[in-house]
Amino acid sequence: MSSDVRFTDFKSDKQPTWCPGCGDFGTMNGMMKALAETGNDPDNTFVVAGIGCSGKIGTYMHSYALHGVHGRALPVGTGVKMARPDIEVMVAGGDGDGYSIGAGHFVHAVRRNVDMTYVVMDNRIYGLTKGQASPTSRSDFETSTTPEGSKQPPVNPLALALASGASFIAQSFASDALRHQEIVQKAVEHDGFGFVNVFSPCVTFNDVDTYDYFRDNLVDLEEEGHDPTDYEAAKEVILDSDKEYQGVMYQDETSVPYHEQHGVTENMSEIPDGAPDDAMDLVREFY
Amino acid sequence: MAEDLNWAVGGEAGDGIDSTGKIFAQALSRAGRHVFTSKDFASRIRGGYTAYKIRTSVDQVQSVVDRLDILVALTQRTIDENLDELHEDSAIIYDGERSWEAEIPEEMNAVDVPLKSLAEEAGGAIMRNIVALGAACEITGFNVEYLDEALEKRFGGKGSKIVENNKKAARAGQEYVQEHYDLDHLGYNLETTDNDYILLNGNEAIGMGALAAGCRFYAGYPITPATSIMEYLTGRIEDYGGHVVQAEDELSAINMALGGARAGARSMTATSGAGIDLMTETFGLVATSETPLVICDVQRSGPSTGMPTKQEQGDLNMALYAGHGEVPRFVVAPTSITECFWKTVEAFNLAEKYQTPVFLISDLAMSVTEQTFPPEAFDMDEVEIDRGKLVDDDEVEEWLDEEGHFRAHAVTDDGVSPRAIPGMTDGAHMSTGLEHDELGRRTEEEDERVEQVDKRARKVETAKEKEDWDYREFGTEDADNLVISWGSNEGALAEALDYLEEDGIDIRVITVPYIFPRPDLTDEIEAADDVIVVECNATGQFADLIEHDVLTRVKRINKYTGVRFKADELAEQITAKLSEEVPAQ
Repeated sequence: MSSDVRFTDFKSDKQPTWCPGCGDFGTMNGMMKALAETGNDPDNTFVVAGIGCSGKIGTYMHSYALHGVHGRALPVGTGVKMARPDIEVMVAGGDGDGYSIGAGHFVHAVRRNVDMTYVVMDNRIYGLTKGQASPTSRSDFETSTTPEGSKQPPVNPLALALASGASFIAQSFASDALRHQEIVQKAVEHDGFGFVNVFSPCVTFNDVDTYDYFRDNLVDLEEEGHDPTDYEAAKEVILDSDKEYQGVMYQDETSVPYHEQHGVTENMSEIPDGAPDDAMDLVREFY
Repeated sequence: MAEDLNWAVGGEAGDGIDSTGKIFAQALSRAGRHVFTSKDFASRIRGGYTAYKIRTSVDQVQSVVDRLDILVALTQRTIDENLDELHEDSAIIYDGERSWEAEIPEEMNAVDVPLKSLAEEAGGAIMRNIVALGAACEITGFNVEYLDEALEKRFGGKGSKIVENNKKAARAGQEYVQEHYDLDHLGYNLETTDNDYILLNGNEAIGMGALAAGCRFYAGYPITPATSIMEYLTGRIEDYGGHVVQAEDELSAINMALGGARAGARSMTATSGAGIDLMTETFGLVATSETPLVICDVQRSGPSTGMPTKQEQGDLNMALYAGHGEVPRFVVAPTSITECFWKTVEAFNLAEKYQTPVFLISDLAMSVTEQTFPPEAFDMDEVEIDRGKLVDDDEVEEWLDEEGHFRAHAVTDDGVSPRAIPGMTDGAHMSTGLEHDELGRRTEEEDERVEQVDKRARKVETAKEKEDWDYREFGTEDADNLVISWGSNEGALAEALDYLEEDGIDIRVITVPYIFPRPDLTDEIEAADDVIVVECNATGQFADLIEHDVLTRVKRINKYTGVRFKADELAEQITAKLSEEVPAQ
């Protein structure tokens, strides 16, 4: 790992096809900077992406990467980290990928507490399929598939994480570049599952949850003097649906990641060129 | 054919039937006898008939037959379920003091042993099955001391007192029968030998094969009858620095295994057909991202929930065709328990050499059957590891394009690209389920699309040329009658040959462990007058393939009752089938 890694080293030479002004640009920049700042380089980093506008991130970043099937990015990241505790794993997805088709995996990845970072680009809309309701869309938000609104309360991903036993819960705003980077960086540095829900506005299909909306309504928890190690305080801000918070809501400083709890330390890619030396013992067990 | 003895213990699920049977099987194995076990069970934790059956001989046994000589019956249903197999020399051990009144046909030998009372005297009613084992020893002239080692293995962890009590219980049963019955006229006398055998089932062989092959990461979701692979690996894979994750579902399990493989670990998942349905979502991704992955399907009766604890070979078409689009893959189907081991090793090599998913197809019958083998059948020195084009740091440099990007999907003559794994300097690259260029980046360029599809197909062609896709053969090579099969039917077929030989019928048996690519059987089929394909499904999925390959019609024997073929039954069916007309072209 070289010490002179710049965040642009994590950039591929493919130009993003995201709409001009998409929140995902800012989200990705913050991720790259956080990775560089924490001493990682592209050759020791694995980025997993799901499907959706967010899923394209693996193409625009430079690292070892897998762009997988819809909703299953977290399991892939889990496998990578188990096999290679020495590798930095970052999983990226959108609100559809993480909280709809992949919701089941989200709950279990959170409770497993695998040492990886999960960045969700939450734009509260399905952008790639051109504007349908997402699990975080407001209940009265009108879309092509919900002309009168979904009439369902949006999923609160932070509360879902809390209920699943999360050790790190944060939220950021793609446009607040510095704070977003800081927050993602804390998630990377966290020993365990670092979850960041990022407000990443869709300028094409969501005219409600816009940059202006977030700028006007964002409350920064750092300015509020919030103590992320205080579980009760975390619960309060996470369940407060009247405000849009930015910052680290909760961090369990005693968190021990899954691989450490299970004594997984080895680089599993290294194996002998025949059966293990003591392999006949496996046979003898069956006497 | 050596003299065999067929023994069973049956009762309600939850009665400890399995462990009782296993103890007896182990004792027989310790005495240098060969053993082949089978299980009848229902998908319930408690309640419902279940039985553990053992066929034993001094010669190798590899099938069940339609005959039961000694039955330990804990319920009347156990007797009723097995009436067809019992005969006038059968002995039925039961507890006359229990509340049920045993109805045993007069011509059979009822052996009433107060199992519960004797067990209580030895230290606890829970040992009543062990009392029955002691009784069985006496009837079969089998030294009760052979049980001791099996009891130590089973109960050693619970302390010496428990072991001693069990030994006492076994002797109580043995002595009771000795005092109260004279069954010498039945003529059961279990010979022993000095041979040392090991006793294991197909799933254990797959698990052991995985460890031998260097599998370090396993992710799975519990499902009958595949779970015991996961249970085998858990607690053992850690000794080699590996890990097993119990995933939240099969969608997750295969994606975790995919992640492990992309990170460079030999990775595997196993499930049954219902789980394959979910995993199918990810097959295409495994193939297009060119990830080496072993996916094991231990088949059970379907469709849907079907008969989850029953035998079937109904997933062959799924293994060949599952997934949208055209997914290159290998399909390997071991035909015996030893082959479960060797084909698992081979599956890992094929996966890495060709960076392609490998389906390892087993079935329920093989997964629950415990069979004896000389330990040399699993000679670990014979295990070879071939990691294909996994590059090292220096070789990475040879595969960079002008701008320094690693060409993870480089178009090569043999279709196989270099493989770099995380941590290798300059090896960083993207992989995706989208069609991609050599660098792994999305493309919809017509030329690049065709190049990548052809390249992936070429890997399979290369493998067809380079690897050995041979069949296995038994019986008389130049016989006019050819029987073809796959999967766990091999054992029953091999033994059916003996029955057929007694009737003067010569058969050539071919079993095929490679479903795709598979051996071309044209010459073999054309040389035979009669061709019969035997399989445990209703539609004849393998027979369809053979007909398609050879452009001919074959006769079919299909069984889909949920119960595996038995050697004697199969011999009868083959005889009957030989006299039938060949189906119209």
